Amino acid sequence: MNSQILPLLKNELAKAVRRKLPWFGLAMIAFLCLLIHMVAEQLSAAAASNGWGYLAFSMQLVFTDLGLIFVLVFSGMLLAEETGTGTIRAALAAPVYRWELYLAKTIAGLVYMTALWIAALIISVALAKTRYGFGAVSDSFGVVYDRATMLKAFLAGSALSMAPLSALVLYGLFISTVVRSAGAAVAVCISSIYLIDFTKHLVHLDAWIFTKYINYPWVVLQQAAQGVDYQWSPEVWRLFGLCGAYCVLMFAGGLTIFVREDLND
Amino acid sequence: MNAALSYEGISKRFGRIKAVDELSLSVEPGQMAGFLGPNGAGKSTSLFMIPRLVRPDAGAIRIFGEDVWRDYKRAIRSVGVMVETPAFYEYLSGRRNLELAARVLGNVSAQEISEVLERIGLAGRQSDRVVTYSMGMKQRLGVGRAMLGRPRLLVLDEPTNGMDPEGTRELLSFLREKMNQDGLTLFVSSHLMSEIEEYCDTVFVINGGRLVASGRVRDILKPHEQIVRVVFQNRAPALPVFSSWQEIQKVEQVMPDTFEITLASRDSAWLNQKLLEEGFAISSLTPKQRSLKEFFLSITADRTESRERGAPEP
Repeated sequence: MNSQILPLLKNELAKAVRRKLPWFGLAMIAFLCLLIHMVAEQLSAAAASNGWGYLAFSMQLVFTDLGLIFVLVFSGMLLAEETGTGTIRAALAAPVYRWELYLAKTIAGLVYMTALWIAALIISVALAKTRYGFGAVSDSFGVVYDRATMLKAFLAGSALSMAPLSALVLYGLFISTVVRSAGAAVAVCISSIYLIDFTKHLVHLDAWIFTKYINYPWVVLQQAAQGVDYQWSPEVWRLFGLCGAYCVLMFAGGLTIFVREDLND
Repeated sequence: MNAALSYEGISKRFGRIKAVDELSLSVEPGQMAGFLGPNGAGKSTSLFMIPRLVRPDAGAIRIFGEDVWRDYKRAIRSVGVMVETPAFYEYLSGRRNLELAARVLGNVSAQEISEVLERIGLAGRQSDRVVTYSMGMKQRLGVGRAMLGRPRLLVLDEPTNGMDPEGTRELLSFLREKMNQDGLTLFVSSHLMSEIEEYCDTVFVINGGRLVASGRVRDILKPHEQIVRVVFQNRAPALPVFSSWQEIQKVEQVMPDTFEITLASRDSAWLNQKLLEEGFAISSLTPKQRSLKEFFLSITADRTESRERGAPEP
């Protein structure tokens, strides 16, 4: 029998494009980018230095707050809404294995996260270009990083920023598997992530919480944009290790629960 | 030939509650079988096991010989399932909901979706969002979704819930017609006894998670020789007259000239003879036809009483 992941993914995307919430998320991201454009120079020296610095600052701000919330709202609703309304029963009363549905929902969550990310990036680049250029980074002694180096650094940083956001998607989906109502799942997702974020310093667990890496690539890129010496290693390996471990644990845990649970109420 | 649907010793426990207890039944191809049971009897749990929404603790379920827990995709391709109140993506149209289901089935054309919408009477509202549909319309859309992909077996849980009598009749007649035309097998759970009695060939009654009765509807409802309805012509006897007759178990006066007499040992011919000998003029004497509702209530009441007394169930 052929895998049903592709048709299921198409269904997930078809449902998402007909809902208001995902579009609202994109609109809010655009609005936040505009707000950042208005105040960036007053908030950050890096943002005022050049296009690279502005872009890194804008992306950092978007995904520290609103972007993070919309990623969690979308992924938190993926399963809980279907379990709560009962549509999950119809979805599974078909030639579909549960793991296929779970994987399709995971990919749909990642696709939406990527869509938010791309929207924020395109809008931020467009707004940055109204004030700054994306050329070489210089200081009073001359060119520190040429354009090609900065472009490479940005591509690497952008790719790295996807890792903690992917872990965030899988965290939302895990909560969505455990909590059987969309509203409650979203509330648990957002409140728990903020609670963890606020208390991680107090209980000395910073090193073990993946959310700290949501900012990390953008902070490093802001340093680069200001002509300061920067380096990815060795922190980048911790980023990969921690975010990867969270992704694997959340996916495996959520899938195990989903595959084994009775869906009779 | 393989049964269209068979439960083989299915059991399921939720904590301390035994929801289904060694349930075994078999629905033959081409039949319309009714599945009856009071609330909490284990009916829905049993139906949820077909699309593997609930995992049984023991036993097997086969669809045309394919075990749903061994080869689910092969087994489920032959069956269309609607369990409990059908749920839809309410922000999508009725047609779009069917299209999503069809995409997963893979072998359903746009033409087939249109035909199904036509047959369930929703062609005119197919573009409207489901949130605007009435309960009956959602019910019909649920049946339509279950019929996509031309399944050989349809499992429907309370398919006429929320429908008006005309809609109920139309839907059941349509399903009966599909059975006759396409050789479809139907397994229908309902609390409406008259529906089951009128449309089903066989019936399975479940109570306390166990199968307590099964058989052909006409066999279950065959005239009841022990209960005789007697209409007297002029003078109806007084109730005490019967008290000395050992062959009579119970007498109930249902109208001034009509009695329902439950016989302990003899048949209606004996009663006719006896009444004539005693000088009563009889207008009619007919063995009483049981309704499915009476049969169901007698079965489920017996089981409930025995459970409450703590007696082991047979």
